[in-house]
Amino acid sequence: MPAVQETIEQVRKIDVDQYKYGFETIIEMDKAPKGLSEETIRFISAKKNEPEWMLEWRLGAFRRWLTLEEPTWARVDYPKIDFQDIHYYAAPKNQSGPRSLDEVDPELLKVYEKLGIPLKEQEILAGVQKQPDGELDEANDNVYKSGRVAVDAVFDSVSVVTTFKKELAAAGVIFCSISEAIREHPDLVKKYLGSVVPTTDNFYATLNSAVFTDGSFVYVPKGVRCPMELSTYFRINEKNTGQFERTLIIAEEGAYVSYLEGCTAPQRDENQLHAAVVELIALDDAEIKYSTVQNWYPGDAQGKGGIYNFVTKRGDCRGDRSKISWTQVETGSAITWKYPSCILRGDDSRGEFYSIAVSNGYQQVDSGTKMIHLGKNTSSRIISKGIAAGFSQNTYRGQVSAHRKATNARNFTNCDSLLIGDQCGAHTVPYIEAKNSSAQFEHEATTSKISDDQKFYVMQRGIPEEEAIALIVNGFVKEVIQELPMEFAVEAQKLIGISLEGSVG
Amino acid sequence: MLEIKNLHARIAEDGTEIIRGLNLTVKAGEVAAIMGPNGSGKSTLSYVLAGRDDYEVTEGDILYNGESILEMDPAERAASGIFLAFQYPMEIPGVATMEFLKVAMNAQRKARGEEPLKIPELLKRVKEAAGSLNMDIAMLKRPLNVGFSGGEKKRAEILQMKLLEPQLCVLDETDSGLDIDALKIVADGVNALRSPDRAIVVITHYQRLLEYIVPDSVHVLYRGQVIKSGDKSLALELEANGYAGVIDEAA
Amino acid sequence: MNMHAQQPQRTGAETALLEAYDSRLSVLPGDGAVTVKRDNALEVLKAGLPTKRIEAWHYTDLRRLLTAVPQHDASAVADKLGALLDGSAVLPVLNGVSSANLPSVDGVRFERLEDKLRDGSFAPALEVQGTDDAIGALNAAFVADGYFVDIEADAEIAAPIELQNIQAGGQTHSRFPVRVGDRAKVTIVERQTGEGAGLSTSISHLTLGEGAEVLWIIVQDQPDDSTYLGQFNAALGKDSKLTLFFMNAGGRLVRQEVRVGTAGEGSDFQLRGINLLAGDTHTDVTMVLDHTKPHTGSRELIRNVVTGKARGVFQGRINVHQIAQKTDAKMACNTLLLSDDGEFSTKPELEIFADDVQCGHGATVKEIDHDHLFYLKARGIDEKTARGLLVKAFLAEVIEELEVEPIVEALEARLDQWFATHG
Repeated sequence: MPAVQETIEQVRKIDVDQYKYGFETIIEMDKAPKGLSEETIRFISAKKNEPEWMLEWRLGAFRRWLTLEEPTWARVDYPKIDFQDIHYYAAPKNQSGPRSLDEVDPELLKVYEKLGIPLKEQEILAGVQKQPDGELDEANDNVYKSGRVAVDAVFDSVSVVTTFKKELAAAGVIFCSISEAIREHPDLVKKYLGSVVPTTDNFYATLNSAVFTDGSFVYVPKGVRCPMELSTYFRINEKNTGQFERTLIIAEEGAYVSYLEGCTAPQRDENQLHAAVVELIALDDAEIKYSTVQNWYPGDAQGKGGIYNFVTKRGDCRGDRSKISWTQVETGSAITWKYPSCILRGDDSRGEFYSIAVSNGYQQVDSGTKMIHLGKNTSSRIISKGIAAGFSQNTYRGQVSAHRKATNARNFTNCDSLLIGDQCGAHTVPYIEAKNSSAQFEHEATTSKISDDQKFYVMQRGIPEEEAIALIVNGFVKEVIQELPMEFAVEAQKLIGISLEGSVG
Repeated sequence: MLEIKNLHARIAEDGTEIIRGLNLTVKAGEVAAIMGPNGSGKSTLSYVLAGRDDYEVTEGDILYNGESILEMDPAERAASGIFLAFQYPMEIPGVATMEFLKVAMNAQRKARGEEPLKIPELLKRVKEAAGSLNMDIAMLKRPLNVGFSGGEKKRAEILQMKLLEPQLCVLDETDSGLDIDALKIVADGVNALRSPDRAIVVITHYQRLLEYIVPDSVHVLYRGQVIKSGDKSLALELEANGYAGVIDEAA
Repeated sequence: MNMHAQQPQRTGAETALLEAYDSRLSVLPGDGAVTVKRDNALEVLKAGLPTKRIEAWHYTDLRRLLTAVPQHDASAVADKLGALLDGSAVLPVLNGVSSANLPSVDGVRFERLEDKLRDGSFAPALEVQGTDDAIGALNAAFVADGYFVDIEADAEIAAPIELQNIQAGGQTHSRFPVRVGDRAKVTIVERQTGEGAGLSTSISHLTLGEGAEVLWIIVQDQPDDSTYLGQFNAALGKDSKLTLFFMNAGGRLVRQEVRVGTAGEGSDFQLRGINLLAGDTHTDVTMVLDHTKPHTGSRELIRNVVTGKARGVFQGRINVHQIAQKTDAKMACNTLLLSDDGEFSTKPELEIFADDVQCGHGATVKEIDHDHLFYLKARGIDEKTARGLLVKAFLAEVIEELEVEPIVEALEARLDQWFATHG
């Protein structure tokens, strides 16, 4: 496990609460005035050169949003958000849409370089090269052998570039920004946008529907196995700006795609809002694997600043034998409110949720999943590992339900929480609902601390305390880490180590 | 190599004194057996040597190569060459045995200012050591001790001991839970480590293990003290007559 | 927080309750301090009955489900039952009225609750526990009688004490405060039953002194058209031990709340429960357990069988407070769904603020094990009988954990009775 060693190195190098991605970039921006009104929405829609139907869709959502109240059921606590004090659109000047790499502002390219995100097509992500001690790593067979990753880079409100588009197009795969898709592929967008997360869904999703500015669009046609990993990197840079991205992924019959998402933001004293919506649609025999490493700025050691991450992610296993798998590593954000879910509509469909949520400092995490079993012989699996340290609150909230007609629904849930220190909290709130006599649900949850016996044993082998804890924690989350594509697995292990920095007393 | 002087130690949480004025000297090259009835403080002694913070040393000292180790934490003691084979090895879920070995070996090398082992060299050493203990290499891909049988756990302990090349080995009831074949393999492993510059302390309840690991000295521990020392014949005497005679004699 | 301020209109049941208060207040025992508490409780009711938007009532939308609010009928007659356990001292509340004829048990003092309401001494206990405490509010507003049981320190009470709350079709509201002195030991049986489409609420408050040991058994078998809302509260003293057993085997709308706090170090709480759900019952068991002191333990085992169109709910929340280090808490809820029209919802929650703890919960929903079924059939047992045996065994396992033979036998007899009518 090379990452353990690296984690420790990394931890040693940085000071307490230093956030590696906290730098700000000075780039000339084109912004909407602060505030939210129909005018703002018309402004965004016009900036994007959207067709009339899209504007109407947004306005419908906005009118609906005005009637909604902010949800309060999650175990998160934050001052009331002034939705009129936010810029809803901010884009680098002269960058209203994605273009080819050589046209992108060199300053922007530098940002992504600094973040370690490869935008040059010949490059591959750091860590992709197979480790020389491959014999030691039994993890991960489902890595794309090519090691290449196509990237859509979203900077504040716009996608600045999407790589490998031509090669993907040759395979029939559409990978572009959602803004481009609305213009270039209106039929697909009309058919699927809002079909999983309707504009009426919930407060933040409805807000997103009204004001979303960019995001990624993926369409994998029938029978196509997407030839490389697709990924989007979201970067919030501008002050007082909300990021509202919208992602839509469609896998036609028998298609397969693996998609990765990463996020970072500068270190600021004010809180910033990020309210995304992700919709996945898997038709018959299709499979979508969606991985996230969420590393928004979490706020400083006193709990000042940080991103409010209010996200609605939902996958619809619309076709028979379809499969959707969510894997998330959540280490960032001041507040996380996020429940990537699966609607198991097709017969024999399968949903999976693998999650690691690490909280430290004053972070608040309320995250989990919903597995809604509707079709026959559907199955789902939930593995959640929560680690709370510092003064943080870490809640798993999940729902598993089998409806009347969901014959032979199966679920297995395992959620374990680890507490590091006695000032934090770990909470587990599962909702288990069975309305079919042939349903079989198994749920288990544990909460404990790292056992002194384990720590002593590891230290007796000569491994110092911090490393010993990192080793045990990495073991604790291993089941989830191995679900990640290789390049993210290495990154994720490092991140977990960094996130827990300073928590070991 | 090891010199324990008038050692007193108690359970940190409730203050119960377990080790009450223990004296013991073990020289380089020596195999010392520590025997005693249940509750005499044998396991506590092994934990105190390894630096477990559930126990407090209230008096006396432990000298290792002439220097006190009381201020060292468990990892520092391990890096200086003290190895404890646990009576109940801990399960570490999610951490493959091989990964663990690598991290441990390199942590100790680092503490000694040595370069980390290159992967091929590491693999070679691990394979050799595992082979000599009749361990299936596939087992090393499994998380450390998780789902291992009692015998497998003990073998994994000896494997670690071989690879970490300690100067002072403390084996806490390594024979417990082993069938006769496993016992032989484990004993062979220990015997192979006997060398003029290494000391081995074998803690055991029964004489059985000492048929396979023949000690140079035998010490009887009772109520936290060494009440009698002798050569290997003392172990046989205990086997024949039980602890009662020795205890009465000391009292 | 005003929980339902936005609700524009009262339901029929809400209106009926408020009208009942106006007409009943003059005849309810107690004035002054007691009336103040009743009025406070009424304010909570005026805000509306809880809906599913109130987290504690997520699966039991009381506002929607409570449709029948009968009037209290002073002329109705209820009969005392034979005791569940032989040799019990029985304290009946018949149609909401306690008996002046109090049994005599060494080391135990009984009082009629009506007297404690009249003299005002019970007023402080009528406090409502938060805005979502609808049962507490309903009961505090209307409570008319019950018994106070006081067991002196060091008393080992051999004879079980049986509290009977028997409704007769109307509306009844009773309370059973029980104080168990230091090191005292006692078994208490609580019977909740009756005849007719009554609305019955009942609240017990148990306090355990240092080192006290209590086994408390609740048997609820209300008729199929009645509403029963119960609440069991307990505060556990240092090194005390409480085992609570419940069996729900009737009622149309049933909610049994269990609220326990480990107020003393070293205390231990054991909960064992079975829900036998048939017909169109909606039965909800909601437990909130607070570990508030270090070194306390708890185990909960709940088993449910669902037939017909029954809907079952188990919500169990374990709160481990920050100072409650070394808490050891485990909860399990297992359900057999025997009908496609039935449903069961579970919400086992852990809320943990102390790090040096071992906490866990498990929940399963399953069918009858096909291997077991096959095995029994291979021995010549027909399918129906085999299923019956397996279901009964699944439930009996919980009862058998009580270990005391006469109690196990008596409860298994109740189980057999239920199967005879619903199996």
